[in-house]
Amino acid sequence: MEIIVPIRQVPDVALNIRVNEGKVVEDGVSFVISSWDETAIEGALQMTEELGGEVTLLGIGPERVSEALRKGLAMGAHKAIHVLYEEGQTDSFGYAKIMAKVMEGRNYDLILTGKQAQDTDAGLTASMLAEFLDLPQVTNIIRFSDLAVDGMTLYRKGDHGTEVIGIKLPAVVTVNDSLNEPRLASMRGIMMAKKKPMETLSPSDLGMGAEELGLQGSMTEVLKFEKPESRKEGERFEGDETETVPMAIQKLVSEAKLAV
Amino acid sequence: MPKVLVVAETKNGELKKPTLELLSLAKSMNLQAESVLIGKEVSSQADLLAGYGSGKVYVADDAGLEIYNTSKYTTLVADAVGQSGATQVWLTSSETGRDLTPRVAARMGVGALSDVTELEIDGDNITATRPCMATKLVQQCRFTKDGLRVISIRAGAYEAEEASPQTADTVSLSIPEGDARVEVRDIQVEESNEIELNEASIVVSVGRGTGGTEGCDFVKPLAGEMGAAFGASRAVCDAGWMPHKHQVGQTGTVVSPDFYFAFGISGAIQHLAGMSGSKVIVAINKDAEAPIFKVADYGIVGDLFKAVPVFQEEVAKIKN
Repeated sequence: MEIIVPIRQVPDVALNIRVNEGKVVEDGVSFVISSWDETAIEGALQMTEELGGEVTLLGIGPERVSEALRKGLAMGAHKAIHVLYEEGQTDSFGYAKIMAKVMEGRNYDLILTGKQAQDTDAGLTASMLAEFLDLPQVTNIIRFSDLAVDGMTLYRKGDHGTEVIGIKLPAVVTVNDSLNEPRLASMRGIMMAKKKPMETLSPSDLGMGAEELGLQGSMTEVLKFEKPESRKEGERFEGDETETVPMAIQKLVSEAKLAV
Repeated sequence: MPKVLVVAETKNGELKKPTLELLSLAKSMNLQAESVLIGKEVSSQADLLAGYGSGKVYVADDAGLEIYNTSKYTTLVADAVGQSGATQVWLTSSETGRDLTPRVAARMGVGALSDVTELEIDGDNITATRPCMATKLVQQCRFTKDGLRVISIRAGAYEAEEASPQTADTVSLSIPEGDARVEVRDIQVEESNEIELNEASIVVSVGRGTGGTEGCDFVKPLAGEMGAAFGASRAVCDAGWMPHKHQVGQTGTVVSPDFYFAFGISGAIQHLAGMSGSKVIVAINKDAEAPIFKVADYGIVGDLFKAVPVFQEEVAKIKN
């Protein structure tokens, strides 16, 4: 089974994110693989461990994206494609178009990726890619079973329960992080990753011109980023629960107008 | 003239509140609105959509639409867009909306803005505010090209007005075949008749501090007594203590109730991102250092197993 996993390199949101004049400050930011994409890499590795085949990673962005790809290779992915892309702001539509170009003429059985990227939290790219490639999509899966080279059963977390969906490959599938716990790269994995093939492509290698890139190739743009007013810690109640709980509830009713 | 097509969502044959929020928003902005209603045995809801200000209601009512199906729903929404001449499509950012929004946009050859919490509209010029970076930031976005605007709006971002049903002007959509490569077989519904997490005004959630299924079950009656939806952290759902449908967080349901009670939840970043829009947060945790206290308006440092019975007594007193 040949699987391609588009991954996105994002600022580590567990750390402080700064904004200056409406832009995210990249200086001093630690970049990581978006957590849902790590889940996708793990899922792809488990599938190929069962059925054979290879996992290819796809990353789009500046030079630093190659570090995220190396990390994915160290987890066990077999090879990587880096679209070296310096066009700056690009929306999901624009990225999906680039991915579609990469995948033209390459035959993957499965495109597996995170349900959203941790920086934009938009969750648009994979489904747009599926539409551009005329492939079926199943998003937000929490489990898979009946794995075969031509299809599988997917369990999608839907609004009213877990939807059980049989799918024929090729297809685009996005993962919820409940699917698995991604493995950590081993020392041996990190050493081996250095020798694994990484193909670097430019947009022009993909036959894409300026009108298809950056803001020109996008349908939406971000005007500015802002820090929302952060919540402040309120009142603390410490001591015996038989005293603290009634006190807190009394305040909830009188100050916050709790009604049950 | 801008015209909005609202993609309606139902549960057990009844319209969900976020759909009514969208129609109320369109009305408050004096926008012409129509809606598309898809599902099994949902036709009866057309009149309520009309009551909420929907002009024509495009209806696809078929047994084969009982469970969400990307291919069929996309085809139906695209058909309704074509027939209505809508210039904007509004969806809710439910799991259905999240799956459908980008597919519909790409089908129509346009971009989308998802999970919007604030919308400014001047004709078809739209400025949208949406959270990003695990809600550490918000971004203000706009569409840069002409064409259809496809937007998903977060549940609870706007209020639903009260309205009564009116006789709807309905148009039946023809039911598509669907993609033969996908077979939507079944839906495993774990429990029913519970308050939906993203519609509740109070949410009571449990975390790892409950110690297991028994601990979760210990807190659950309190949710019932408070008329609250019952939520859980990812740790609880992944451990199998509670079904995944209860999961609150970015992977799960994003909630913004009036009151959020966190019992034994430490406050991992993706959990905080999924509930920090709550108006009032109450945290109960043994660990005084738990990150949840940093966002809590009322923080009780204590043992949830001792606190819950006291909560139940106090709630009973308020009710009487």
